[in-house]
Parts: sequence; structure tokens; C-alpha cells
Amino acid sequence: MSDQHPVQTDHASHSRRRFLKVAGAGAAGASLLTMLDARQAPAQIKGTTLRILTWSHFIPAYDVWFDKFSAEWGDKNGVKVKVDHIPHLEIPARMAAEYAAGAGHDIINNNSTILARLYYKSLLDLTDVFDGLGKKYGGWIPAAKSPIEVEGKIYGIPQYYILLPMLWRKDLFEANGLKPPDTWELARVAARTLKPKGNPTGIAFSHCNDANLVWRSLAYSFGATEADPSGDNPTIDSKEMREALRFAKALFDEGMTPEVFSWDDASDNRFLASGIAGWIHDAISAYRTTESTNPTVFKNTYVGLEPAGPSGKRVHCVAPIVFLSWKFSKNPQAVKEYLAALGDADKDGMIASTGYNMPFLNDNAKKPMPILGADPKLQVLQDFPKIVAFFGYPGPYTPQIQEVGLQFVLPDIFTRVARGQSVDDSVKWGVGEYRRIFSKHKKA
Amino acid sequence: MTAPLGGGSESTTRAAAQPIAARPSAAARWWRTNTSRRLAFGYLLLAPAALYVLLLVGIPFLFSLYLAMSDASVGDQMATFVGLANFRAAWEMDTFWDALRNSVVFLVVAAIFKSILGTSLAFLLLQNFKGKKLVRALVVIPFTLPITVTVLSWKWMYDSQFSVINWGLHKAGLIGGYGSESWPIWLGQPHLALIACIGVNVWRSFPFSAIVLLAGFTSVPTEVLDAARVDGCSFFQRFRHIVTPMIFPILIIGFLFDTVFTLSDLSVVYVLTQGGPGSATMILPMLAYQIGIQAGSLGRGSAIALTLVPLLFPALFLMLRNIKRRDW
Repeated sequence: MSDQHPVQTDHASHSRRRFLKVAGAGAAGASLLTMLDARQAPAQIKGTTLRILTWSHFIPAYDVWFDKFSAEWGDKNGVKVKVDHIPHLEIPARMAAEYAAGAGHDIINNNSTILARLYYKSLLDLTDVFDGLGKKYGGWIPAAKSPIEVEGKIYGIPQYYILLPMLWRKDLFEANGLKPPDTWELARVAARTLKPKGNPTGIAFSHCNDANLVWRSLAYSFGATEADPSGDNPTIDSKEMREALRFAKALFDEGMTPEVFSWDDASDNRFLASGIAGWIHDAISAYRTTESTNPTVFKNTYVGLEPAGPSGKRVHCVAPIVFLSWKFSKNPQAVKEYLAALGDADKDGMIASTGYNMPFLNDNAKKPMPILGADPKLQVLQDFPKIVAFFGYPGPYTPQIQEVGLQFVLPDIFTRVARGQSVDDSVKWGVGEYRRIFSKHKKA
Repeated sequence: MTAPLGGGSESTTRAAAQPIAARPSAAARWWRTNTSRRLAFGYLLLAPAALYVLLLVGIPFLFSLYLAMSDASVGDQMATFVGLANFRAAWEMDTFWDALRNSVVFLVVAAIFKSILGTSLAFLLLQNFKGKKLVRALVVIPFTLPITVTVLSWKWMYDSQFSVINWGLHKAGLIGGYGSESWPIWLGQPHLALIACIGVNVWRSFPFSAIVLLAGFTSVPTEVLDAARVDGCSFFQRFRHIVTPMIFPILIIGFLFDTVFTLSDLSVVYVLTQGGPGSATMILPMLAYQIGIQAGSLGRGSAIALTLVPLLFPALFLMLRNIKRRDW
């Protein structure tokens, strides 16, 4: 034979290649870590451009801060930064267009609909930035990885999440001898007592984000789950889910009016601001806006932890906000530098958002948090990081669970029950929808 | 063999000596005629339009057909052929049938109201009155304003708590106060929600119908109408037997445009209800958008969107054939 030692030759060549690869990767990783640690941009990003697509935050002051931070970072590092703000519901369509074109923004915000698992093959691996920030700030809260981790790699950097705590009228509760709504049962008693007095409660039974989040919080707190830990199989057909549905029906009948069937994400804000609501389960923006629109309501509204379910369990479903970057970005180095710097400025962002943004990084989630720690009414929000979960709990935030969310299947199950369909029939319908969606994604 | 044209033996011999390729064939001779050149020139002039239609309509249509028969997703460039699986998947969804039913109801009810209101408005605008030009300019406002802005305004008017419509009805003594049984929840009660969405679509589009009709009405020669009047035709007789036949092609084209606009418009539903409550206002474009773009399943989304084609195609064919038969 012409080659008597093919294995040896091949091995030698592989060893050399492997050595070069390992050495190269090591050097690149080390220099990136050094740069991240020193907060110093490498020379090669100077003179480049970084385009960022993000949402229009509910707190306009945060957008002002974000734009200023980005511009200042750009000036400091010699990078021209351009930030585009669009409504968050338009981001999936924009991402699809950019993917198809193979060009667009270097950094893209994902809000609620996290598309990392859908696009991961075309996304920049951000594991090094994620690990670097985690190492620096005491790790990430347990839920942080779920929306962005695929096959052991991280394809996004979590920015913050938004809470929807209990916002309850202390004056009305006290006047009627009611206890604070620390459990769902106490919240129901309050709703039942306050509705006849002209102060009903309200949770959206409609196609909106609030409905997706609040009914999940209630179901999870009742011990129900949505998917198994692998995320491949739906698990909504359970005793606990039926219990949660029966509870929701009672809560609607006793404490709400049919207007909740028409609500959007801002309806409960208006409901609270009008002075009618006895309690709502919504983002603190609902409470903050009353400071100017209805100071009496502002003074008497208190913020509560997620109510506990029958067994004392509290799980709070939230909407995560993360940043992703395309693999085809022409400026991956600047992307990583920018995201690391943004992670460093996490606390400033929390302040700019007036406590609306909740941190994913453990050190920033320590008490006292900026703004929240100093406000007696909002201090309770600091206890939320421990009970935060995303869609699909306890499974990961998969594309199939996102499709379930986008089609509002879970709120529709609750709506069917509230409208009078039997719990069994509603669950049967819901299970069918979940299985259909899950099986499509499995085949894909 | 080609028959000899000259008839003489010499010419036959000469013709036989010629190589076959050098002889102009019948097709080549036809090509040199004036008729063929005129035809070719005509096709040449038509070519840009045909190319335009092919590029902007044909290719996207074929591409969506390809997507509908594949497992394409927004995040993966590789797609495999799955046949009719996406159509089957759509048909298995309860929501799909709700969306199909709602789309048809939406289209038919909206078309009826747009015809009535559009015709009435067109007749009003034909009359001579003070400020006619201003009114003509004002009526097109719903059609020209950005759809999101106008639909958001309607969302406020339909608000469950602060609805100005409900406030007006309450002040008129037609309904009870906020919180009473008779207080309509426009976007929360399934039938009302669909009516509310159709209402906004009608409000937004009927000026377009009116303008199309107005253009048609003004093209009817006044002599014909005057003659009919002299002959004793009533208003409705003139409308039915003179105006309608004369403006029929315009009516059909307007109707086709409106059908396509209505069936493909998801903005009203998207802003007002997102298809809810339940699937009471879900329409096919909304469902296709949710599944195809938001959830990223391009194949299934395209299959849902393409369901409209078999619905539209026969209607389109019949209408165009009708126009052709009328020889307009």
C-alpha cells in the first residue's frame, strides 16, 4: 500500500490542528475576558457601527436612559451606535425579515416572545458574555437560562423582566375588615365582598399578554404545570389545573364583571385609576400612573406578593426581555462588548425604569434593590426573584410553548370556564390544542 | 415532403437541389408578415406589465405555495417537502374553522353595508349643495388616515368602561349605566365583538365604495338619464335599468378590490381584539400571522393564508367572465 502509517500521519495532523484550534480559542477567550474585565474596547471595534433594535419601553424615561447609555458607550469606544425603537409586538415580524434578508440590526431585543430557540442556528453564541456577567455579579437567577439556552449554549443576554404583582386598595380592604390578599383565597373573599359595594376586581379573560401571565401565575400557584421538564410534553390535564379553573370561575362569578372579556393590557390600569377596582394583578406602572391621574388611589394602593395557592405555593409568571445578536452581524466583537457594558449598567437601568425592570443577575437582585428598597410600598417586589417562572413552567421556554402563548390557549381555557363551559370540556379542548401544537413542533 | 410551388420540372429540380435548411419554412414566412410583426410588437409592449405581474404576484404566490407544502420555519433555511400536511394540520384546528366562518361572515356583512352606505353617500355627493367640495374631502378621511390610529380611536370608543358610544346610549336612555346588565361590552361579548370589528371595517372602507360609485355615476351620460326621465322612469327604474348596467364593470372592479382588501386585512382585528374573545373575531389573516410570523411556522401560516385562494378564485373567475360577456 502507498501509505503504511495512515493513522499515525492523520493523528499527527489532527493534533497540530487541534493544538492550533485550542490555542486560538484560548487566546481569543482570554483576551475577551480580559477586555470584558477591564471594560476596555479592543482597537478593532473603533470606527465601526452598531445597530440596535429595541422596543418602546412602557416607562419612557428608561428609553431616554437607554439611548443615552448607548450613545455614551459608542462615544467612549469609538463606535457609532444607532438605536431603533419599535412596538414590541412588531419585533417577531422584523426579525423574520432580517433573517430572510441576511442583514439588519446587530442587536435585537426580544420581549415576551423570545425567539432564541427558533433562530439559534443563526444567532451569535453569547455564552462567554453570559458567563462573564454571571461570574462578576454572583450568577443569574434560576429562571434566566430557560429562554436562551439551546444545546448547552447561550444565545441571548437576559436584560430584565417585568412583574405583575397584586395591587390592592388598602382603604377599601380596611373599611370592609378584609385581610391583605396574601393568598388567592383571601383575594377571592375580598373580590366577593367588594363587588356588591361597587368595587369589583378584574383579571383579563382575553387575548392579551396580561391574561397569558396572570392566569399562568394562578395556575402554577395552585400546583398546576404546563409542560414536563424536558418541555416536550404538555401537562395541563391535572387535578391542580382543574382546581385552578374552578377557582377562576368562582372568582369571576363572585368578584368580576363581564368587561374583563374585552380587556387589553391597559384596561386594568384604567380600572384601577378610575377608583373602581378593589384589586388588580398588574405591572406597577398601573400603580405609578395613578400618582398623577388619581392621587387618592395612589395613596391607598398597596403592592402585594404573588398570592399563595391552596398549598402555600407561590409562582409568578413573568415576561422576560433579552437581547440577541445575529451570526451574520458584521460587528460581533462590538455586540459582545456592548452587552457586557449594558450588564454592568444594570442597576442604572433599574433606576431609570423607576423600579419597573427586575434584575436577572443575583447581586443586583439582593436587597436593597435600587428604588424598590427605598419605597416601603414596593419593598415586597424584592422577594419576587425567588418565585419567578416563565411560560411552560417547569419546562423550558420552547417555541411550542410560545406558540401556545401566542394563540392564547391557556387564557382561552379559563375564558371558556368563566363563560360557563364545564371544566372537563374546557380542559379537553385545551389539551387538544396543546397536543396539536406540541406535535407539530416535535415533527419539525 | 413539401409540395412544389412552381409547378415546372426545372423548378422542381432546382428546389430539390437546394438544401432543406435554406428553404424558409411556413413558420418563418409567417414571422415576416405584417400581422405577426404587429403582434410581436404588441407583446413587446405588454412584456413589462407581464414581467411586473410575474415578479410581484406570480413569484410570491408560487413561493407561498412552496412554503405551504414544506416544514419551513422562520429560523431555518432548510425546508423539506411535507405535501398537504400543513393544510391537514390547519383543518384539524377548531380555531381554523372559526376563522374561516368569521372571515366569510366578515366579508359578506361588510360588503352589504358598504354597498348600502357607499351608494347612499355617492348619491348624496352627486347633489348640488353648499360646501360640497369640503364634504367630498372630509368623507375620504377614514380611508386616508393611518389605519392603526383610527382603529385605536375606535378601541377607545369601544372601551368597556369609558365607551363614548355607551355613554351616548345611556344619556339617550337606551341602556343602563356602567355595570348594569344592559351596558354593552363591545369587545368582550362574542357577537358584539365581531359586529364591532365589522363596523370599523365598514366605517373605514365605505368612502372608497362611494368614490368608486361616484366615478361611475358621473360617467353616465345625462342625456340618457334625461330621456328616461322624460319617458316617465322613476328614480329606482333609472337606477336599475340604466345606471347599474352602465356602471357594472366599475362596480365589479370596485367589488373585487374591496373583497381582496377585506379578506386580507388583519389590522382591525389585530388592534381591537387579537382574535378574541375566544376565537369570536379570529379571521384567517390574523391566524396566519400568529402562526406563520409570530410563532415562526411559515409552512402552516402559508397554508392557512392560501385557504383564501380557492374561495376567491371562483368568485373572481365568474365576475370577470360576466364582464367579458357583457362585452364592455
